[in-house]
Amino acid sequence: MPEQQPYEAGRAIAGTGMGGAMDLAASEATTLERTPGGPEGTGPAGKPRSLWSDAWRDLRRDPVFLVSALVILFLVFISVRPSAIASGNPLTCDLARAQDGSAPGHPFGYDGQGCDVYTRTVYGARTSVTVGVLATLGVSVFGSVLGGLAGYFGGLWDAVLSRITDIFFAIPVVLGGLVLLSVVTSNTVWPVIGFMVLLGWPQISRIARGSVITAKQNDYVQAARALGASDPRILLRHIAPNAVAPVIVVATIALGTYIALEATLSYLGVGLKPPSVSWGIDISAASPYIRNAPHALLWPSGALAVTVLAFIMLGDAVRDALDPKLR
Amino acid sequence: MLLDARDLHVEFHTRDGIAHAVNGVGYAVDAGQTLAVLGESGSGKSVTAQAVMGILDTPPGRITQGRILFRGRDLLTLKGEERRRIRGTEMAMIFQDALSALNPVMTVGDQLGEMFVVHRGMSRKDARARAVELMERVRIPAAAQRVRDYPHQFSGGMRQRIMIAMALALEPALIIADEPTTALDVTVQAQVMDLLADLQREYRMGLILITHDLGVVADVADRIAVMYAGRIVETAPVHDLYKAPAHPYTRGLLDSIPRLDHKGRQLYAIKGLPPNLTHIPPGCSFHPRCPMARDVCRTDEPPLYEVSETRGSACHFWRECLDG
Amino acid sequence: MAEPILEVSGLVKHYPLTRGVLFKKQIGAVKAVDGVDFTLAQGETLGIVGESGCGKSTVARLLCGLERPTAGTITFKGEDITRLSGKALKAVRRNIQMVFQDPYTSLNPRMTVGDIIGEPYDIHPEAAPKGDRRRRVQELLDVVGLDPEYINRYPHQFSGGQRQRIGIARGLALRPEIIVADEPVSALDVSIQAQVVNLLARLQTEFDLSYLFIAHDLSIVRHISDRVAVMYLGRIVETGRDSEIYDHPTHPYTQALLSAVPVPDPDAREHRERIILTGDVPSPADIPSGCRFRTRCWKAQERCVVEVPALAVPAAFRDAAGPAAHPSACHFAEEKQVVPPEESRLNGNGPG
Repeated sequence: MPEQQPYEAGRAIAGTGMGGAMDLAASEATTLERTPGGPEGTGPAGKPRSLWSDAWRDLRRDPVFLVSALVILFLVFISVRPSAIASGNPLTCDLARAQDGSAPGHPFGYDGQGCDVYTRTVYGARTSVTVGVLATLGVSVFGSVLGGLAGYFGGLWDAVLSRITDIFFAIPVVLGGLVLLSVVTSNTVWPVIGFMVLLGWPQISRIARGSVITAKQNDYVQAARALGASDPRILLRHIAPNAVAPVIVVATIALGTYIALEATLSYLGVGLKPPSVSWGIDISAASPYIRNAPHALLWPSGALAVTVLAFIMLGDAVRDALDPKLR
Repeated sequence: MLLDARDLHVEFHTRDGIAHAVNGVGYAVDAGQTLAVLGESGSGKSVTAQAVMGILDTPPGRITQGRILFRGRDLLTLKGEERRRIRGTEMAMIFQDALSALNPVMTVGDQLGEMFVVHRGMSRKDARARAVELMERVRIPAAAQRVRDYPHQFSGGMRQRIMIAMALALEPALIIADEPTTALDVTVQAQVMDLLADLQREYRMGLILITHDLGVVADVADRIAVMYAGRIVETAPVHDLYKAPAHPYTRGLLDSIPRLDHKGRQLYAIKGLPPNLTHIPPGCSFHPRCPMARDVCRTDEPPLYEVSETRGSACHFWRECLDG
Repeated sequence: MAEPILEVSGLVKHYPLTRGVLFKKQIGAVKAVDGVDFTLAQGETLGIVGESGCGKSTVARLLCGLERPTAGTITFKGEDITRLSGKALKAVRRNIQMVFQDPYTSLNPRMTVGDIIGEPYDIHPEAAPKGDRRRRVQELLDVVGLDPEYINRYPHQFSGGQRQRIGIARGLALRPEIIVADEPVSALDVSIQAQVVNLLARLQTEFDLSYLFIAHDLSIVRHISDRVAVMYLGRIVETGRDSEIYDHPTHPYTQALLSAVPVPDPDAREHRERIILTGDVPSPADIPSGCRFRTRCWKAQERCVVEVPALAVPAAFRDAAGPAAHPSACHFAEEKQVVPPEESRLNGNGPG
């Protein structure tokens, strides 16, 4: 029973043994049918609790969340205002200083072209964050709409969509990127994002479909239907709010992998190309000099690793907080 | 005494504080006897049984006090390995949900046979033969063929029989059945309870039947212990209790069930809700819902008064209650 | 008896069993409801009892328009509602509302109590002017015995019994004439069951409601119903007034069902005759020929295999006007008392 009552599981302290939720409560109506006390579970403060407020309570106390959120906030800040912490220009390079180590005002040293590694690493964050956030948004919107509708209406539409997602899952991402992006000439983030949305939506679509099917089976959906509620109303009011949590979790984790994918594609020369600034480009450019100037490789790779890790950790923390069974 | 649990206390750590699930429960069962533990959800009836069986999840649960004497040995002082050996061989448990208690990827024959392989060191072939025998014992038709089936291929009633067969496999001295028929239809429930009672007589086992159903209790139990908010509020031979309950909660329960033999006008309803186990009311925990409550009930926790040699009631005014 | 407000005739619901994903092939059908007729009078309670899989919940879903019947008619105040769609269907739905079994899944956890009870007004804006809705919701909370101040709380803050009251309040919001209650108390504790049963009884007189009360618990059905229908494998096998069914059952299935109910009286153990049926209910995808109960029936004969018994007053009782003369779908119907007659019991009356 606790499995079917995810929202109750927080109080079902002994699992099946207690017959699901223990009805912890103050007092209820009688033959007089009037309830004097407050409802249960409100705690001493009587503050209403919801899944989100419970999750937030858990998150605030979770060091994994706090650390990853701080890292992400910092990344967002430097992508919006890189000049706040890096006064140089990432495109101003001095070949004479190529591969030099750290110098005053240039703590990370210089790369193979004589560009300041610190400045480029800071400016590279913008590309990563932009690609990550936009690709995730696109993937989530497409994926949840398609998957959600398939899960809700079922039938032929669902069968066709499921086969299409299977096909997309079979495409190797990097190979697909090499083929598709090599014909693109535009040197902006848009083709990269477009490619990620194209290959990424099936993942979200599957999750959304599954969680919509689960939510659809709840009696409150039947209750709304019995009242004569329309499909859009049922989808938006009853199903979407109850099906969105898994999508958010997967999307957060995917955000990190999109950032890594952008770097991979840029490294392979099909993502962004110079003069764009990206960690992937810098990693690619620095790898031939790894013996002479390891710092030029180390800093952008380190920044990439920390960023990806931060998003994956955030996704993990959010999943733990949103999954009542883990409470 | 086969099993004698004394003054058990179990608590759970929850996000709302410490839930006092079991607060000083004691009961005893002899061989061949059926003790029914009656209570609503949150009364602590299942938690007590899990503590006795040694399958309480710790954490979040914690046994803070008490003794569980099984054939004179205190189970709570035994080491993990010794305790595990007693489970299954000397005491066994039947759960409400047979489908989730059976392994879905093993045939029932293998699951039944495994008991003999692990505990008795039998060969696979002998174990299979014993499995068929057991399935016949619990009256599963065409047992020899069905031994190769998987749990999902059986109906709910048949699965519950397989659970019973598993519990019986090593002929334990004590069986704890936690709501064994709650998930079943009445006609199937009758079959299963019938079977359980027959087998119990045959093997002279002690049976602890945990249930919320006053009808089932009346049908099979010798003694009954009524639990409320983690305490036993009344214990008595089953005939005495139904004839004249000595606790207002028991009386309320008996009066609140609709009757099959006549049509009542309005049901008696116990007012209010069971207490929050993190904030159990002081004094008698039933006092906020009790029609007989007086000042003393709000301050003094009633002990389990001796009503007669075989009866106990945790009500300050049990005499009044007994008189109706 | 008053004019029937609801008349169900020849109701059938078959779920096709198919194989294949894109190119579906029907390989059979689950006959969940297989020809059900009954009427419901204004202000009356009809109880439907049966074991799991007998189709009683499907009947509820068909009545509330959650499923379309395969065949048959549901006539509400003279109008067949099974053929309606769009606006007309929506209008009829206002009059037939449902109370669900599971108080934990029947309320949307993301909505406040006020939003849940007020939702009917969002869907049927003509039922209440916008400014009036909050007041009405609070009134409804009061009617079902909850504090109107709870309007902004979430369902998980309530216990099972309180949640069921919220579900009942939602069902009442549109002032329906019929409430279909599908196992409304079976998920609740004994002491809370009585509270909710009493509430339903009070609301019935207060709002002149007609109930279709579906349950597997025979005692509760007897308590609340005026008439009772016993279902087995998609059909009604016996129907009549509560005393006719409980005290004078003539169908062997009803007799077995009644005798299997554990009664809270240890003295009944010895002198009560138990009919223990063998085997399980057959699958509704593979219904036995003739009488569908014959595979478990101790009276079954050749005739039961070939001839489907009709639901009518059995010939043996047709002339006698006694309580045994009520419709029973059995070729060999005979009266048998299985519920021990009422005894004077010491605990027959409540405390205080």
